[in-house]
Parts: sequence; structure tokens; C-alpha cells
Amino acid sequence: MTLPILPTTVVGSYSMPGWLERLKTDYHARRISRQDLDEIHDTAVKAAIKDQETAGIDIITDGELRRDNMIDYFVERLPGVQFDRSSKKFYYDFYDSEVLGKLPSGPLGLTDDFLFLRANTDRETKICITGPHSLSKRIRNKHYPSEEAFAMDLARVMNQELKELAKAGARRIQIDEPYLSGYPEDLSWEVNALNALVDGVDAKIGVHICYGNRYGKPSWEGSYRYLFPRILDAKVQQVTLEFARRGGEDLDLLREFAAPLEVGVGVIDVKTQAVETPEVVAERIRKALEFLPKERVFVLPDCGCFHLARPVAFAKLQAMVEGTKIVRKELGN
Amino acid sequence: MSEGKMAQAGIMILQINHQQKNPAAAAAHDLIETLFTLLEEGHLDQRQLARLRIHLDWIQYRSSFREAVIAVPCGSPHAEETALLDVHVNTRQIVQESLRADILRAVLHATQGHLSPGASAEADGVALEDFCSFRSSIAWEFNRLYWHRLSDWEKATGRGYEQALPGGKSDANHPAAIADGVADFWTLLKDLEKHNQLPPEIFVLEIGVGMGTRAALWLDRFQALDQQRGTNYYPRLKFLLADYSLATLDRSRPALKNHLELCSFVVLDALNPIRTLSFLRHKIMHIHLTNVYDNLPDEEMARRDGRLYLVQVRAYLRTADAARISESFKIPAADLRRSVSRLLDVGPDFHPDRAQGVAFWQEIWKAVRLEERLVPLEELQAGSLPDGLDAARMEEILRDAPSDIRFHLSTGALESLRNTLPLLRPRGYLQVQDIFVTDMNAYRMGFRGPGKLDGSIVNWVNGVLLREVAERAGYDLHFAPFHYRPGSQTSVLYTTQRE
Repeated sequence: MTLPILPTTVVGSYSMPGWLERLKTDYHARRISRQDLDEIHDTAVKAAIKDQETAGIDIITDGELRRDNMIDYFVERLPGVQFDRSSKKFYYDFYDSEVLGKLPSGPLGLTDDFLFLRANTDRETKICITGPHSLSKRIRNKHYPSEEAFAMDLARVMNQELKELAKAGARRIQIDEPYLSGYPEDLSWEVNALNALVDGVDAKIGVHICYGNRYGKPSWEGSYRYLFPRILDAKVQQVTLEFARRGGEDLDLLREFAAPLEVGVGVIDVKTQAVETPEVVAERIRKALEFLPKERVFVLPDCGCFHLARPVAFAKLQAMVEGTKIVRKELGN
Repeated sequence: MSEGKMAQAGIMILQINHQQKNPAAAAAHDLIETLFTLLEEGHLDQRQLARLRIHLDWIQYRSSFREAVIAVPCGSPHAEETALLDVHVNTRQIVQESLRADILRAVLHATQGHLSPGASAEADGVALEDFCSFRSSIAWEFNRLYWHRLSDWEKATGRGYEQALPGGKSDANHPAAIADGVADFWTLLKDLEKHNQLPPEIFVLEIGVGMGTRAALWLDRFQALDQQRGTNYYPRLKFLLADYSLATLDRSRPALKNHLELCSFVVLDALNPIRTLSFLRHKIMHIHLTNVYDNLPDEEMARRDGRLYLVQVRAYLRTADAARISESFKIPAADLRRSVSRLLDVGPDFHPDRAQGVAFWQEIWKAVRLEERLVPLEELQAGSLPDGLDAARMEEILRDAPSDIRFHLSTGALESLRNTLPLLRPRGYLQVQDIFVTDMNAYRMGFRGPGKLDGSIVNWVNGVLLREVAERAGYDLHFAPFHYRPGSQTSVLYTTQRE
């Protein structure tokens, strides 16, 4: 499938409807069955796919609507991780989880999600997974000698899943590592974990690093300078970064370090319900193009649209697509 | 009480609410005797008695909107039902000699149809508005007027508003509390600096600035600590003093004379700080409010026999008070409502003689009472709850709450909280010093307002609901008793970022 110049995509999650929040919470309170919830998820994912297609997004995801949050979906699937199902009162809360012994290998079931996505769209697709660094920050480690050792073993287990995904036809995989900006001192070993995670995986790999989006607000502040030059050692083809909310700050780092990577440039601020105009989006893209060659720029929101109201999320994606079209036209495409 | 009387009592419910100094139990005997005398004399019938809920409250406010005895009818969607009647007896205010008359007046007034929608209270007084939710009541317009025309009020009373506070001064200005708060803030900045996350400009916001005393003490202390530790954070501060009254902001300036170069004075609505400060979304490191939430528009809800009700109110003047004010100010009784409306529109200048206008304002405020009724809610819908409070979660809170309960929705405080949190920077925090109810059971234990404090309203704040709204916005709320002044009823709410 040929993509246009400045391909548009999303970071992963789509707007979580209030009704789905209530039903997920009902599930945790044992008021609805797993089977009902699975059907509800299928329906919600189809709607999220349709919205992305209608907005004109080039590379779409399943909206991650099956996930309570970016951690627990993996906590529930990772063999060897213990968690307390009663530790949430609201679906979005994190489970209280821990690892007590060496993680056994086993499937995580993400291939089913990918196949469902592919069966319901003709567009280019992307599947997103939470990376070992972020998981190691939320799952209490009671076995490994260090967080680094835990993350490396998470990478080993998850590497198998990524290979399965690639085998099933996933061409684009994004690894989400939002916790990294809160713990920049971990970057050195995190790159090792990333490389272990993607080793031998036959797909285009991107890594998404933002400043957090828990409850629709940033968890940390600072500069992306901490990423460079170490991030260039990661065996990934793309980094996607948060620029819209931060006013394009740090775009210059990409030129300064001559990063040979594709860059997903955040042009939509997902931490405000205010909808950008296409002109604002176009201006943000133009600014990115001052520092990056157009062939390496992907256009996307700063992070997932999880906390945006659905009409807002949809309008923002539409504005993103329209703004991208303005710049494409200026570039003669 | 005789056994015969006990048998006659049926299911009348007597609730004795304790609150500190508690003379309520002493009043219970007199009250029950009086009720049964009224029954024997035929002033009350058995059905009515069986549908009474008697609340004996010790009301902490010297001045409130209540008569010594009020009867609050609970509307029923089923016309055939005899309405429940909540009878509230203010044990601080009742006089044994008039108890019988007070009860009879209240119960008859509530049961003889005066309180049906559109009815006038003029049989027992002069209505100043129609029934509405408390939030929409003109009581809050008086409150607004007080803060906007504070100097007029103070000039007339000859004392500053802080002197009206319990203890005669604000807990916000307690030096030890401020020193501890500053030390905590400095520690946070130091830690951020260590992690290379200290911003070049450090924004601090205080909403509700009073005389500027707290802000000045805070800045003095911070400057001293910063110098002592050689950290040079003080010059990076941007201190915003915010209030919805320009007059108050102007009064606070002199106190800040040593720090003016880093202070900004901002008029904003405490209900919606982010509307004014949206350019500082996720930028403010520390936000402080003292005695603001207890003074924001509010509503109350009640549950009786499993059914939910919204408390509606109607401001009125007692006939005797209306006659006295009418005579004093040479305003015909029929024009009182219009004159009050003019007062609230334009302030005391509505009167050609401003001093007379202020005197009228103070007399009306002193005299104004709120008549109450409970209007059934068919179901908890989003529209009946403050924004940010999920109906499903509210149902869960009510499942765990006492079955018969009347509680604050704290609509204004919830709105303010929800519209303040997005201003916080990552790791930034909000601190609110106020009077909080942190357990729904506490509503069974005593009257929690509203009361009158000088020319303003004071009302306890529902911390349980605040906690819910904050959690959904990504913050945990913690309440610590204010231990710096023995006997203080205030607590300090502070936020931590929710994982």
C-alpha cells in the first residue's frame, strides 16, 4: 500500500466513550459477563476504525478500546505476573500487580487484536504495545535483581509476541514508552531492552515517547535532550514525539543530532478539548519541516485521544488531515 | 412519656444531631411532650405525626437562615400519600415558652398548602423570591454583594471581615502553618531541580486573597528560606493573587509592597479559574485557597425512605421583620421585594443616601430566612449533579451512605476544583484550607450549614464528593486537620498526582 507524503496516523488510543467506561466498570464489578464485554469491545473497535477512516487517517489502529489503560492490558496477559482483580474501583485504575518469579514465555493474544483490525479495514494498520520500561515501572518487581533485569526479561517474553504479530502480517508496530521522560536516567538500559524487544521482528518499528497522558494531563515536564544521542542506538525506524502542546520545543534536536529516523511529529494537543484549526496544524507541520526532510515526517497527535470527548477527538483528527493536505499541496503533492 | 403516648407515636423518627456543646437531648423531652399535647388537642392528627422526622440540631452559627423550628415538606409524586415532613428544631435558638407555638406554626404552615409551587409566603411573611435550588437563591447574590462592597459594609460595622471569623483572625495567616508550607514547597523545587525539571518561571497562585496577609507572609518566608539556603528560586517566582473582587485585590496590594515586582493581581471567578488563566494550563506549581470553597454557591440533596430529593429554598422576611424594616426605611411593605432586588442589582447606591442603603442591606441580610421544601428527583441524571460527578459513582456513594441523609452537593466547590486542577504543572499541587465533611456519616451528626458569617454565607464542603471529582481528574485528595490552632474546625486539603 503506497502512502502519501506526510502520512497521517494516530498514536494509538481513540476516545473512550462514557458508556464504555461504565460497562467496563460494570464488568469489574461483575455486573456483566466477559462474553458481553468482548462483544461490546468488538463493536466499539469497529466504530473507532470507522471514525479514523472517515476522518481520512492513512495509518489506523484499533483505538485500543479493549484496554482499560496502557498497563493492565499487558498485566492481565503476561504469564507470571500476579495481580489483584479487586484492586480497582474504576476500570481506569491500575491493578496492584507484581512479579514473584522468572517470567515464563507465552502468548499475549495481541495477534487476535491485529487480525480483527485488519479484517475491518482496507487502510494501512499499526498495532501499539506498551514497552518494557513502562511496564517495569508499574509492575512491582519482587524477583529480578534490578529494574533493568526485569525490563530485559519482559522484552524477551514480548519479543515472541512481536514476532507472532509480524508473522500474522503486522507491518507497523509502535512501542509506547511514556514513563521514560519521568526517568531519563533509565534511558541507557532502556535502549538495550528496546533492542531485545525488536530483535528479529520483521516489521517497521516505531517508539513513542511523550510526557505522559494519564488522566489527560502530562505526568512530567522537561526537554527531550535527554534522549540524544543514546536513542539513536535503538534499532527502530521511527520515533514519535509530543510537540504540539510544547509549542514545537526540541524540534531543533532532531537536526542537531542528524537523527536518521522517521519522526512522528505531534501536531495535535490531546491534553485540551479545544480543537485545532487545519491552519494551525499546517503551521505546526511547516515548523517541523524546517528541521526534518519531508520524506521522514509522519503526522499524528501528541499522544492517544483516550481522554478526549469523541466529537472532539474526531474533529481534531479531521483538522489534522485537512492541515496535512494544505502542506502537501504547498509541497506540490 | 406515658406508654399510651408511646403507642400513639407510630413511626415518628427523632434524630438527635450532636455537635460539640450539645443541649439537644435536653430539648427532646420538651419537644415530644409538646407534640403529643398537640396531638391530644387535635392540632395534629395521627397520620401527620407518623410521617414526621424530627431533627434536633445544635447550629454552630450564631446567625443562620433558619427559624427556631422549621418544617420542610417532602413532595411526593403520589398524590394519595401523606407527605413526609422534616421538622428541624434549632436547639440553640428555641425558647421553652414559645416551643409549642413555634412547632404549631411551622407544621401547620408546611401542611396547609402554603408551600405549593407558586404560592406566596405572605401569609407568614414577605417572599423575596420564588422557590428555587439553593444555588439560584438570592442568598448568594447577597454574598456576592458583600465581597464586592466589603468596604461599605465594614465602614458601617466598624470592623474588618476577618474579625468576624472564629478567633477573630484567619487561620490562613498562621506563621507556623505558612513556614511548614513554604518548607514543603522549597523541597519540591529542590527535587525538581535535581531531576532537571525545574521550570525557568515558577508560578504560584492564591485564590481569595483577603488583605494579602497570607501571600505576604508566604513570600517573606520563602525569600528568607531561599536566601538562607542559597538556591536563588525567589527571583523565578511569578506569584498570582486572584480574587473575584477588584476591591479586595486593591486592598491586598499594600501588604505585598516588598514583593510587588513578582506579583500579579488578577480578577477571576473562583468557580472557573482556568477560563481566565488558560494560558497557564499545566504550568502552575502551587495553588492555594483558604475559606473560599465554603463561600461558593451550593445545593443540597436529601434521601428519605429511599427516595432522593433536591432541597429548594425561598428567601423571605418574617412579617414582623418586614414591618419593622418597612417603617424604618419608609419603604412600603409591598415594595420591599423590589427594593431588595434593586439593592442586589446596583448595591447600596440604590438608595439616594448610601449610608441608608447600607443600613437597609444589613437589616435585610440579618432578617432574611430561607423556607425549604424537598422536591423528589425521579433519578440521578447528569443534569442534577455537578459537572465531573458521575451519576453511577454518585449512586455508589449513596449506597454506602446512611439511608436517611441530607448532604451538600457542594456544587460550586466541585466546579472550582474541576476548573482549577488543569492549571497544575506535573508534580504541582493544590492546597485548600476550609471546613470539610470527609465522611458522609458526619451529615447525620450535626448541622453543617449554611450559616451567616457577617455579610457572607458560610457552608461546610462535601469532601467525599470533592475526592471523587479529583480522582477522575487524576488526583488523590488528602485531608489533614489544621493542628496549628487548637479547636480549629478547618482542615487542609492537598492533592497528590494519581498514578
